[in-house]
Amino acid sequence: MTLLASKPAAAPARAPERAPYWTMRRRDELAGWLMVTPQLAGIVAFVIVPLGLVVWYSLHEWNVLAGTFDFVGGANYEQLTSDPRLGPALQATGLFSVGLVVLNLSLALFLAVLLNQKLRGTVVFRTLFFSPVVVTLVAWTIVWGFLLQDNGGVNGFLQQLGIDGPNWLRGESTAMISVIVVQLFKGVGLNMVLFLAALQGVPAELYEAARIDGASAWARFRRVTVPLISPTILLTSILTVVGSLQVFAQIAVLTQGGPGTSTTVLVYYLYQQAFQFHHFGYGATISLLLFVIVLALTVLQWRMRRRWVFHES
Amino acid sequence: MRLRSLTAAGVVAAMLALTGCGGGSDDAGASGPVDLRMTIWSANAKHTALFDQIAAEYKKTHPDIGKITFESIPYENYTTALTTQIGGGNVPDLAWILESTAQDFVTSGALAPIDKDPDLLPSTTKTWEQDGQLFAYPFSTSPLGVFVNTDLVTAAGRPAPAQQVAAGNWTWDQAVATGAAVQKTGKGGIVVGDFDYKGWDTLNSIWAGWGARPWSEDGKTCGFDQPEMVAAMTAIHKMVFTDQAMPGPGVTKDFFAGDAAMVLTQISRAALLEKAKFKWDLVPLPKGPAGEYAVVGQAGIGVLKRGKHVDAAKDFLAFFSNQENSAKLAAFFPPPRKSQLTTEVLAKANPLLKPAQLQSVVIDGIERGDIKTSHVGYAELQQTVRAALDPLWKPDADVQAVLSGVCAKINPLLAK
Amino acid sequence: MSRRLKLLVYGVLLICCVPFVFPTWWMATTSLKPVNEIFAFPPRLLPQDVTFDAYRQVFALQPFGQQYLNSLYIAVLVTLGTLVVSSLAGYAFARIPFRGSGVVFVVVLAGLLVPNEVTIIPLYRMFDGLGLVNTHWPLILIPMLGAPSVLATFIMRQFFITLPRELEEAGRVDGLGRFGLFWQVSLPLAKPAIGAVSIFTFLHSWNLFLEPIVFLSSKDKFTIPQALTQYVDAYGGALWNVQLAAATLSALPVLVIFVLAQRQFVEGLAQTGLKG
Repeated sequence: MTLLASKPAAAPARAPERAPYWTMRRRDELAGWLMVTPQLAGIVAFVIVPLGLVVWYSLHEWNVLAGTFDFVGGANYEQLTSDPRLGPALQATGLFSVGLVVLNLSLALFLAVLLNQKLRGTVVFRTLFFSPVVVTLVAWTIVWGFLLQDNGGVNGFLQQLGIDGPNWLRGESTAMISVIVVQLFKGVGLNMVLFLAALQGVPAELYEAARIDGASAWARFRRVTVPLISPTILLTSILTVVGSLQVFAQIAVLTQGGPGTSTTVLVYYLYQQAFQFHHFGYGATISLLLFVIVLALTVLQWRMRRRWVFHES
Repeated sequence: MRLRSLTAAGVVAAMLALTGCGGGSDDAGASGPVDLRMTIWSANAKHTALFDQIAAEYKKTHPDIGKITFESIPYENYTTALTTQIGGGNVPDLAWILESTAQDFVTSGALAPIDKDPDLLPSTTKTWEQDGQLFAYPFSTSPLGVFVNTDLVTAAGRPAPAQQVAAGNWTWDQAVATGAAVQKTGKGGIVVGDFDYKGWDTLNSIWAGWGARPWSEDGKTCGFDQPEMVAAMTAIHKMVFTDQAMPGPGVTKDFFAGDAAMVLTQISRAALLEKAKFKWDLVPLPKGPAGEYAVVGQAGIGVLKRGKHVDAAKDFLAFFSNQENSAKLAAFFPPPRKSQLTTEVLAKANPLLKPAQLQSVVIDGIERGDIKTSHVGYAELQQTVRAALDPLWKPDADVQAVLSGVCAKINPLLAK
Repeated sequence: MSRRLKLLVYGVLLICCVPFVFPTWWMATTSLKPVNEIFAFPPRLLPQDVTFDAYRQVFALQPFGQQYLNSLYIAVLVTLGTLVVSSLAGYAFARIPFRGSGVVFVVVLAGLLVPNEVTIIPLYRMFDGLGLVNTHWPLILIPMLGAPSVLATFIMRQFFITLPRELEEAGRVDGLGRFGLFWQVSLPLAKPAIGAVSIFTFLHSWNLFLEPIVFLSSKDKFTIPQALTQYVDAYGGALWNVQLAAATLSALPVLVIFVLAQRQFVEGLAQTGLKG
């Protein structure tokens, strides 16, 4: 594993007497530690310690209003296993993440391939596709909230085409689709650009060779392009998965978790329990679950890379 | 190196959090001026200007008081943000409290008891009392009325609601007929303010006319499956989907922009009509099957027990809400005081409203008004009912079944 | 490529553009409409009655200029700070085989996996303990040093790892120490990575929503996303046109800068270590 390579410096068995204490190796050690210190300290202070506190809170019943903080042991964890709302929340989270990741990666790759053709004006299109990335997230979501109204812009547009559009944010499945799509168009430009860069890194000779071998366009895409850009696919998919599990502002602005509980994803449920229902202890327990899920998925993706990521084999 | 010191600050922060977990409310000590902080949800510049003015006067006679700040938190996240501050140990001295969370705040012991002025109407203090003590000053006791866009109503060929009130036939049937007639013209009919098919508790302005309530007075029994509620909800469902008198889910019709015939909302919103380009009127809620009724919205100002300056906060609240200031505040927030519930006082404060409107909607409304049903653990109930009620907002919904479903969902919460 | 295929590609690209461009267009044009036109159905592409009333109100109702400056200066500080923190750490992880670097790297990477909602409660208590609630410090320090900076460090590391060894060996011969190698040899080559980190970081800070809501409470300290949700009347009813005008103001300048500098923007992003 190149990523985590660390070669412990083997100290010389017996240093010659005249050699200075500050050998290059020692100086490197010191420099390395000094350079990572700000980052490490930040992570310890703002991630590790708070995470430890979250574990501590999860063992307590914490009523904010009354000001009580009582140790309850595993009660919150027991509640987690029997909470009837947790299942739907996990399901919504899964739907959102799978939907977003699949759509995002395929659309990003599709647009990148189109833009990678040697055509005039692709820079203009690239700019347009990327532009939502720089629009303030809340502004983008508010605007879509208007457009997705029953009498909003999307249905107005569909009406011009003779289609009677659904009441997007009020139907259980259409609400989920809406939230996914809003996030998709907001962020797909970023992955598109990363893919575009990866595509431009694929040597033209390889395509030539494949063409001479008589491979179809699809076969060239599958056998040449995909393997060569697989490291980028891995990275973008990790980032998109992790990002999709943290979706909050969009849900808060567009659906508040409804209709029913169809868009109450885990993060939103955690927010409700901790901040709306004042169950901070239980909220902390849910947030630990969220952390475990993110961790597991990332480890899984990282493990799977050996199977299909080209560079690693 | 600047960066290093920042890192150090971070580590110190972490250690402080570890050691100071108890949440400090230590007294600021005797020396130095006392700063007070009140959280509010109004973001209205005129409101805050008035508050600042009252605070400035208070400071003239109280040199020990330093700064008095009014911190505005958006209405939507209000209780959430307030609880976060309290949970984080950053307790405000005073806070506005929503009527629906009244019980939560009162029974949890978060508030300090305050003195009760005999001038306060008993109907306004009920929500804020426990064991004979008053825990918050009821303020902004604002009745709900119906604002009418008379231009739209007349254009749709319907009699003006004010005439119907005078004739004694201002009923929900008539209101629905008017709403439906206007909605046929492409505008909206009857809008329930802040409902938007999510804030179901605002529907109490309708169902109170059927004598329905979401749960029993003691908060133990679910009321959604009771006959009154089923009848009321059936009527609302019919209003939306059959009579087409109320804009459907996902459709926004803004009354104040001239897009709807009527809106059921707090009368304090009259301020939004200052620049209205249409003729409007204010009438009481229509008569329901259970007869005439009134509904009031309310808020309380409480002193947080774990705030740093409880006594100073109490004293300021007493000043803030005394006769003189209450009269000033009446410009925006109807006073809960017997002596001030007169058309003269109110007319001075609400130049947009006519004396007859003030008498019928405000004064009568406050004296007999129903307040939104409150509950301990209201937020969780609110969200649970919202989710369980969503299936109702479809044309072919089975009202009885949906409402029984609501009860099934909230019974465990009510039993707590 | 045949003419017909070209036309097809252009056609597909044009159709794809709609959902990317229309919302922004609608936002900007609708903010110029009077309120009663906003919900006209079907919506119109251009306002019939242009009014700047909403824009006047944006500044009348809130110190929007101040809030804009807040967002801007916080984002700039966070970006600069993150660049320092992440380039140092990224370089060390990539090029210095110091003892324990593997473990430290895993610890740091864990930061990437902790959603900010998870730690917001303890962080609030920490900053409150320091008396820094309702200041901009949490919004500056947490992204700069905490979880959000990890992605930056990762990008930097991935970039530095691709630099050929020989470059630094030449520098060694010239007598440079580690910091010298970093500062004079490697960092100047890292412009694309720096560009990418700047963009990611700036946008992340600019978009922060939950943290400002939790940490800030006075209006003159608010940031833009938070301010956008504040254009409501006393009972939470939204002032539609004002909200849209403010949203437009929040988006347009960044969009304009982006369009002008889009080449550096996108290509900087493209040439980073994110390739693998």
